[in-house]
Order: sequence, then C-alpha cells, then structure tokens
Amino acid sequence: MSSREPMWYCHECNAEMRPLMMPDPHCASCQGTFVEKMENPADDPREFSHGLGDEGFGGIPDYLEQMFSMPPPGVNPSMFGGPRGPTRSPTGGLGGSTRSRSPGSTPPGSGFRFEMHRGPGGGSSTFIIGGAPTLGRTPGTRPGGPGVDPVPNMSDYIRRNEGPTRDGEIQGQLMMQFLQMLRAASGNRAGGEDPFAALFGGMAGGPDGRMGDYVFSQEALDRIVTQLMEAGNTHRPVPATEEVIAKLDTDVLQEKSPLLEKDCAVCKEQFSLQTEDPDEQIVVTLPCHHPFHQPCIIPWLKSSGTCPVCRFALVPQPDQQASGSQPPGGSGGPSQGGSGTSGSPPRSPPPPSGSGPAPGAGSSSGGGGGGFLSNIFGHLNPLGGHGSSHSPPSTNNSRGPSNRNSTRRSTRGPSGDDVPGSWHDFLD
Amino acid sequence: MASISARRLRKELSEIHVEGCPVGINLLSADNFEQWLLSLEVMGESQYPGEVFALKFRFDPNYPISSPAVQFVVDGKYTSPVHPHVYSNGHICASILGNEWSPVLSVIGICVTLQSMLASCKKKERPQDNDRYVLHAPDNPKKTRFHYDVDTV
Repeated sequence: MSSREPMWYCHECNAEMRPLMMPDPHCASCQGTFVEKMENPADDPREFSHGLGDEGFGGIPDYLEQMFSMPPPGVNPSMFGGPRGPTRSPTGGLGGSTRSRSPGSTPPGSGFRFEMHRGPGGGSSTFIIGGAPTLGRTPGTRPGGPGVDPVPNMSDYIRRNEGPTRDGEIQGQLMMQFLQMLRAASGNRAGGEDPFAALFGGMAGGPDGRMGDYVFSQEALDRIVTQLMEAGNTHRPVPATEEVIAKLDTDVLQEKSPLLEKDCAVCKEQFSLQTEDPDEQIVVTLPCHHPFHQPCIIPWLKSSGTCPVCRFALVPQPDQQASGSQPPGGSGGPSQGGSGTSGSPPRSPPPPSGSGPAPGAGSSSGGGGGGFLSNIFGHLNPLGGHGSSHSPPSTNNSRGPSNRNSTRRSTRGPSGDDVPGSWHDFLD
Repeated sequence: MASISARRLRKELSEIHVEGCPVGINLLSADNFEQWLLSLEVMGESQYPGEVFALKFRFDPNYPISSPAVQFVVDGKYTSPVHPHVYSNGHICASILGNEWSPVLSVIGICVTLQSMLASCKKKERPQDNDRYVLHAPDNPKKTRFHYDVDTV
C-alpha cells in the first residue's frame, strides 16, 4: 500500500475507501466527513479498530456473540424489526461491517444501540437494547433459507427462555429478566474479565433496585444520591489522628495552677482538684491555648480535630478552603432563598440580651451572618472572658476568626431526595 | 458517674434557673435529659411580630460532643416559622446544628442563634425544596445531611 497513493479511512464505516473530494474529503460510502488519510503507518486508524476488537471486546463470550450476532450479510436486516431505522445492509466496506445511520436520522424511541467491530476482516455485532415498540417478528418469517442456520436473535432467545410471550413485544419486565440472565451467565464465568460485566456493572436488578446506571425505585435513587453526596461532602469534620492527640500538651492539675481559675468549655465546669474522676485532673491544652478536661476533649477531637472554642484546626479541615474562598457575604448560588440574594447589605442581627460579641472575635467577613457565633460566644460567659484573656493565636492559623464567624446555612441539600440537576450546587 | 450529657445538661439547667433565659427565650419543659422544649420569640422589629415558636431539643448520651437534634415544634399549638432555612416540618438547616457544631455551644446558645436567624430574615418564605424535603424527611433532622452555603440570611 505504501507504493500507492494512501488510502483513506472512514471512521463511520470503519472501512478504507477513496474519498470524494467535494472539496473536503467525504466518505464515498456514507458521505460522512469523519475520514482520515492513512499516511502514517505508526498511527493507523485501523489499529484502533483492531484494538477494540481484539482487546477491548475480545472477551465477548461466545454465548453473547451468538445471542447478539447479526444475521449474516445478505439477510434482510429488517428481521430485527423494531428500530428499523438504524440498521442498513452491509455496505461493502472491509469486513462487511455494519454501520448505523447518523444518530439524527434514528427514529425516536429506537432504544440504545451500539456496535462492536472486530476490525478489518472481522465481523461486527450490533446490539439494540430497548426500543419501541418491538424487537419481535412473526414466527413464520424466520430468516435463512436451506442450509442457513441463523443464530437466534434477541427476541428468539428471550422467547425460548421465558416461554410464550406476546409476540413482537419485549416488555420492561422481560428485558430486565433478560439482563439479569446476562449477568448471571457472566457471573458463572470464573475469573474471566467479561466486558459485559463491566458494561452492566453491578447490575443486580434485584433487592436494591439497581441495574447499572439505572435505578428502578425511589429508594435506590435516594441511595445513589446519598452516596454521591457523601463522596462530595467536603464539609464533614476531619477527626484528629491519634498521633496528633498524643502530642497535645497535657498537664496534671496542681495546687495554685492558673488553670484552676478556668473552665473546661466542653463540660462548662471549672477545673478543680476535687473531682471524683482522677482523669478530670488531667488537662489538655490545645495549641490555641484553650484548656479542657482530658475526658472532655478527647472524644470531641476524635470526631472533629478542631478546638471547640475557636475552631483552631489541629488537622486540616475541609471547609477551611471552602469557607475561605467564599466571597464575603455572597449568596450561596441559585438555590439560595430570596432573602440572601437581594444584594442589599445584610442587616446585623440584634445582639442577644445585651451581651456583645466576644472580645477577640474579629469582625465578620459576612456582615450580618457573622454575628451569630460571636453572639453565642459573647453570651457564654465566662467563656467569652476566657477567650479574650487568652487571645488565642488562631488568627495566625489558616482558620481565622473571619472564617469561623460566618454561619453557613442553606435551603439546600436534604440528602434523600435531591435531583441530579442540582448537583452543581454541591460543588463549592 | 452520670453520663456526660446528664452532667452537662444539669449544669446548663441550673444556669438557666439561676441566670434566667435571654429575652424572648423561655424554658417550657426540661423534665429529663433527653428532651427539652423552649419557646422562642423574636424581639424588636422583625418579620415575626407577636409570633411565638417552640424549639424541641433532643439529646443523646454523647451530648455535647454530638450535637442535639433541634427542630421547631409543629403541632396544634405551635407552627414552624416561615424562613428560608426552616422547613415546614420544623427542621432547620443551620450549620451549627450540623458539621459546625461545637461543644461550646449550648441549648441557650442555639436558641440565641436561631433567634438571630429569624431576626435577620428579610423575606418570609419557605426553602425552595420544602415540599420535596418534607415529603421524605427523616424524623430526626440530624439524619439529614444539609448542605450549607455561606450566607447572611
């Protein structure tokens, strides 16, 4: 071939051909423009097809091959009935590959259709799954003359296995059984990498109502949405590791310790030498200088590696970036309730019962919303006082006061019943 | 030794009895350490003049390490405030009740926060997905994973 003018390759026909230059190259067979000149032997488009056939789908189990095989060339493809549009007679391309019309011309409701080509010289298989209204045909018209023993097509296959059905119809239930059967069969093939197992991966169709990418019950959909949300939930607190906890500053209370004047913010009790539990005389002081009873703080750190008082992060917390990157006072997106999107400056909530914001808490990045935590901290005397006397160095940390002051709320996202269309809302 | 929650709640209760509740907040019932009821009223100029709501707090034995389950009471007597973060079944979408919970917060602290939330509301409306959520909502709002956006409502 190298001695001749290079051939062209039509990716729609999967065949070599000489294009019609009009003036751009068009496939001589299908008039398509997805054609490629085969000039570089190192990048032969046929190799792709080869690869697909020999590696990608090389493991097509025989039974599937049988089940799905198109009738040999020459047999009227209309025997497939149903989605009559997509299938044409073989076009004389290399290997007699079957091809489909462009998707635009596929009649609506013709179902999901894909083809497998086994490269030049190989055959091809066309699968049509679903589709309206029928894959069937009348029994008398079984194709193939004398000497031809046609492989069963899908409707034959199902009819044989499921007993008599109404002719010419594959109902959803039947299709499901068929697909389940496929799965069962591929499951029996020990060890083999069955492409169909991957294709219909995880297809149980059974109690969990799932089949591949499809779900058949609200419950199953909820589960999937929940999984997705868990996967994408970047706001869940990250617990402190044992290693981090082990390195924390730990003291045993002694007479005249300055700690004795302070409270543990978790149990709100003052540190004391007179405690029933000797563990409560062990005080853990976090790097932000906030002290806690050891039995109070350890369980918390194992659920969230932050200081309960100032949210100093002992381990990187996922919402640091998230909250830090949010525009101050910005509304949370299209899902936001109207009151957040008005664009007018937010009104600060009135301070509760006359107690001001906690000293040391920075002014809010978010305007009105920022007042909430400072309100709380302000309210929680004497905690606020302790906080101020310590003026924790949290401003030097990645999670500064401006972060912690923004209270985040939303109307979004109850896990059970969201719809895919709103997933963009979770990407923040 | 009493559970952590009982000890801490006893402490909170005694502070409430000694110091009283902030203005607009009243303790309705605290007969045990599993469920408390408080009433909530927004003081001053607001979208909720004269409206009194009730908050139900449910505590598990790990309180305050784990957050309480907090919701507005919806029964014959009380209704859920119409607010962009409050569902008609009383569930509240507030980060401090979820992943921004801190054991420093307390029952009164939560009430104050929610009071502020209502006070700063500019437009009385339900969350966009209210109907859908309420239809499928779990009994315990803690089982809902809300998604929180930064906002200043």
